[in-house]
Amino acid sequence: MSEGLNYKFLIDTFFVALSGVPVALLVTIVSLLIAIPLAFSLALTRIYRVPFIQRLTQLYVSFVRGTPIIIQIFIVYSSVPLLLTALFKKYHINVDVYNIHPIWYAFIVFSFSTTAVLIEVFRSALSTVSKGQLEAAHSVGLTTFQAYRRIIIPQALVVALPNICTATINLIKATSLGYAMSLQEITLKAKVAANVGYNYVEAYLDIFIVYLILCSVVEYGFKLYEKHLRKYKLANA
Amino acid sequence: MLNIKNVHKSFGNNEILKGVDLSIDKGDVVVILGPSGSGKTTLLRCLNFLEKADQGHATFGEIDVDLHDAKKKDIHAIRQKIAFVFQNYNLFNNKTVLENVIEGLVIGRKVPKKEAIEIGKKALSKVGLSEKYNAYPSELSGGQQQRVGIARAVALNPNIILFDEPTSALDPELVGEVLTVMKNIANEGTTMLVVTHEMSFAKDVANRVIFMDGGVVIEEGSPHEIFVKPKEERTKKFLKRVLPEDYTFYI
Ligand SMILES: Nc1ncnc2c1ncn2[C@@H]1O[C@H](COP(=O)(O)OP(=O)(O)OP(=O)(O)O)[C@@H](O)[C@H]1O
Ligand SMILES: [Mg+2]
Repeated sequence: MSEGLNYKFLIDTFFVALSGVPVALLVTIVSLLIAIPLAFSLALTRIYRVPFIQRLTQLYVSFVRGTPIIIQIFIVYSSVPLLLTALFKKYHINVDVYNIHPIWYAFIVFSFSTTAVLIEVFRSALSTVSKGQLEAAHSVGLTTFQAYRRIIIPQALVVALPNICTATINLIKATSLGYAMSLQEITLKAKVAANVGYNYVEAYLDIFIVYLILCSVVEYGFKLYEKHLRKYKLANA
Repeated sequence: MLNIKNVHKSFGNNEILKGVDLSIDKGDVVVILGPSGSGKTTLLRCLNFLEKADQGHATFGEIDVDLHDAKKKDIHAIRQKIAFVFQNYNLFNNKTVLENVIEGLVIGRKVPKKEAIEIGKKALSKVGLSEKYNAYPSELSGGQQQRVGIARAVALNPNIILFDEPTSALDPELVGEVLTVMKNIANEGTTMLVVTHEMSFAKDVANRVIFMDGGVVIEEGSPHEIFVKPKEERTKKFLKRVLPEDYTFYI
């Protein structure tokens, strides 16, 4: 540090880190696309107390919540290839599992962990909408599906949005653990650049700034959407 | 017009309805009285399939259904004919007053939106809420919300409207406006089945009063028969409890 920061490296590496953003976003978006419908369905099994499945859901939630994501990554990253090798051998499929792109593992791990978070978010949001409104919808001739789509979900979404935002931000930040699977995302790219001349401070600073910008933008987007949805809620205030 | 036979319903080991029969003619305003827990709400809910009866049969015009295992199609058909006004209003909080009223028409019945809006506005003017089309439920008083609830039922042009204690969640000073609206639609010839503790409504508006207790109908008759010369001991006891002290002087 006696020479101070290497500003040229700082700026160059900033763009290296920035080039990891698409991968981080891709993992985030794919995980959300898998997690949202899955978590919603599982939240319904909790609300309607579907026997067996709801217990399984509960177990799943506490299992994922009770373990660090990095451990989940290690487990998936080390065990899935073994499983696949066995499977491929059995069915004589000629694929080298060690050539599978790490992004697929990232999709698996992050959609699993996000699902667990969102189940609880959806369950509590749905339960804030009074059951009477569902009955009223039935009584005027709506099907359960129509009632959920037009009455229940729009109200639950307003309640859930801040938590969905938090979950999304946490997910973006968690993708930084992708380096453990050699995923070419923000953190890994900047660290690799730093390895050459040991400019770790600059690299970490760049990583820090990139995540800060990324998360702020996402948060701002959610705020805008929330404002838009809240039109009717304003009346409630 | 509506005939119900032998409705049974238990929650767990607790038998709430123990064989209720009921028949209602077009234009009837029937009031159900009874102590708390006698199964009045449960009966109305079974009729609209919000609760599944354990046993029972309903004929409604040409529709004939088993209340225990009705098909989806029959449930939908019955719900087209029966509207429900809830104790807690149960308005759709994310929809405006007018949207609340037309939701069932547009989505449930596929009425063209323009036509539905016409019908909805007419229903809202009947309950005196013509200036509130674009308000959200949270901006209304309880009395106004319940009037929207009534307009939502009226707009469906049902054969009968079921009311479950429509005024009991209201502040006393708001009860009157709702009762007035109910009286008006009764006078227009709407068939109504009303659970209420408002004795004045039962006496002045109903043409038949049913007294329920312990999951069965104890006694039924004209308001005069029930209020002035009740036959059953349980009816007398109940009336003594709910009517003002001096009422007994008139008997
Ligand atoms: N979903 C339910 N599960 C279990 N018990 C229920 C359920 N709904 C109603 N009950 C019970 O059934 C009994 C009758 O209830 P119901 O609401 O039909 O009475 P009610 O005559 O409408 O009384 P009130 O005048 O207080 O409204 C009550 O003892 C109630 O606790
Ligand atoms: Mg009741």
